[in-house]
Amino acid sequence: MKKLVLLLMAACLIGGCASAAYKRSLEDLPKHDFSVEIPDGWWKPQYIKRYLITKDGAYQQYVLIQQRPIDRPFKKTRKKLRRGMLPLESAKVITDEIAADRNIMNFSILENNPAAVDGHAGFKILFSYRDKNGAAYKTLYYGFIHGDSFFNIRYAAARQNYDKDLADFNRILRSFKLVNR
Amino acid sequence: MKYLLFILTVGCLTAACATHQPVSIDQALMAGDDEKILWRQAQAEQRVLDGSGWLYRDAELETYLNTVAARLGASADSPDIIFNIKVINDPNLNAFAFPNGVIYVHTGVLARMENEAQLAALLAHEMAHSICRHSLRVLKSMNSRPRYMAAVQQAVGRIGMARELARLLGVNGSMAAVDGYTRELEAEADRVGLDLMAKAGYDSRQALNLFEHLQQEIKDEDIKEPFFFGTHPSVQQRIENARRWLATASSAQDGGLVKSAIFRSKLDRLILDNADLDLRIGRFEIARRSVQTYLDRHPNDAGAHYMLGEIFRQRDGREDTAKAVQQYEKAIGLDPSFPDPHKAMGLIHYKVGEQQLARKYFETCLLLAPEAPDKAYIEGYLRDCLKNGEES
Repeated sequence: MKKLVLLLMAACLIGGCASAAYKRSLEDLPKHDFSVEIPDGWWKPQYIKRYLITKDGAYQQYVLIQQRPIDRPFKKTRKKLRRGMLPLESAKVITDEIAADRNIMNFSILENNPAAVDGHAGFKILFSYRDKNGAAYKTLYYGFIHGDSFFNIRYAAARQNYDKDLADFNRILRSFKLVNR
Repeated sequence: MKYLLFILTVGCLTAACATHQPVSIDQALMAGDDEKILWRQAQAEQRVLDGSGWLYRDAELETYLNTVAARLGASADSPDIIFNIKVINDPNLNAFAFPNGVIYVHTGVLARMENEAQLAALLAHEMAHSICRHSLRVLKSMNSRPRYMAAVQQAVGRIGMARELARLLGVNGSMAAVDGYTRELEAEADRVGLDLMAKAGYDSRQALNLFEHLQQEIKDEDIKEPFFFGTHPSVQQRIENARRWLATASSAQDGGLVKSAIFRSKLDRLILDNADLDLRIGRFEIARRSVQTYLDRHPNDAGAHYMLGEIFRQRDGREDTAKAVQQYEKAIGLDPSFPDPHKAMGLIHYKVGEQQLARKYFETCLLLAPEAPDKAYIEGYLRDCLKNGEES
């Protein structure tokens, strides 16, 4: 009986590892009008439908890439992005949206500068915040408007680990290309 | 035990929704361990709020609010509760009391008041929740009705838009801030609050004025906040209760204290700061009205003219650019050393290709604020202006 229990436990463990290995893939990343090169070790959590990848779990770090129609309303602010907006103006809409999020505490903008992604003029915001449990995070957020879409690519990590995967993020950022355009 | 308490107290969220039996007012209030636990939990929730970076820091204003609360509390028979009023930097219409007497008032609701008597009406209502131990009574009523526990999920779902706030505030704060208490307990808070207000010598009719004013704002601005003072039914309930009380209470003060001047002097800055919060969340018309109210009293405030300009520029409706330019020019005329309107004028000219004018304003802005947080953008636009100027 003891042996059977041990066997079952071992089987469960192996099964668990196998399913964890299965989860750690990039297979079901959603399709958008961009392409990026993802360094080794990054994977997409299956339970997240967005273009989000991580190395150690989303609470440790993640890279999120979004393409959203510029006229899609934001959750917190009624402000809208518009064609022809200057990067300074679109950065303001984004920081206002983030600052109004009640999941984010002690929000602080550390840097807000113009930046280009794949040659498109945009902005780069570095901000820090805490969650309700006091855990501190840092996020580097790039965004630009192209046609009727707003593209953003961000790297978020626990503050103490922020620098660890920044180089990987910069590789992903540099590889970012618009496609189907 | 901790888990059970958590489930029970989360269940409090259901107290004001779903179908429920009224809480028995004469239920014995055994202020023993249950209340101690409730207060400890309230303190923990307050620590989260106080450390969130959302508190509006104005020591003079806090002193003033606490002076009004002390005046109201003087006639309350609750020596064990020390009232402490704090302000949250949030444009929504809200205020809520914790069982231990700590009351949080949003800048949004303060900015819409006209005088101290209206402030007293709001504070007295919230203080009444603590004085009458409403949190404890809800908790005790739930102990005898475990079916509430099954409705927890439903309650959290119902909160919907307020889910984030509910998560942050914890169970005590959520119950007080989001849904309010049962209709009966709210009616008691109205009654006790109006009594406190009258005993403190305030004009009780101002309570009705405040609630009617809030209701009108909710209607005019199509405000859909899930919060207690941001919902039509809650405010309608306050109005009906206040009318009833005014018609029958012998202590109703007609011609009591109103105190408009001191109230305005203490809250002037907050009105402008709250307008900025409304602007950030894109409530342009509410922000415009608040700034206009401020400008009516301070027509020569360059900062307020600049903010009005920002409201027009960011709204970007028909003729808004011209209105924005008018306000920026006023701001520059009043205070030529104020860099922000120069930057805004530069952006307006830059976007329509008026490079020479844009260059003039950007250069002035950088001269006045060489370390402006967004100077990298301005320098970039300035470089474009210079480059295009050379090419032409």
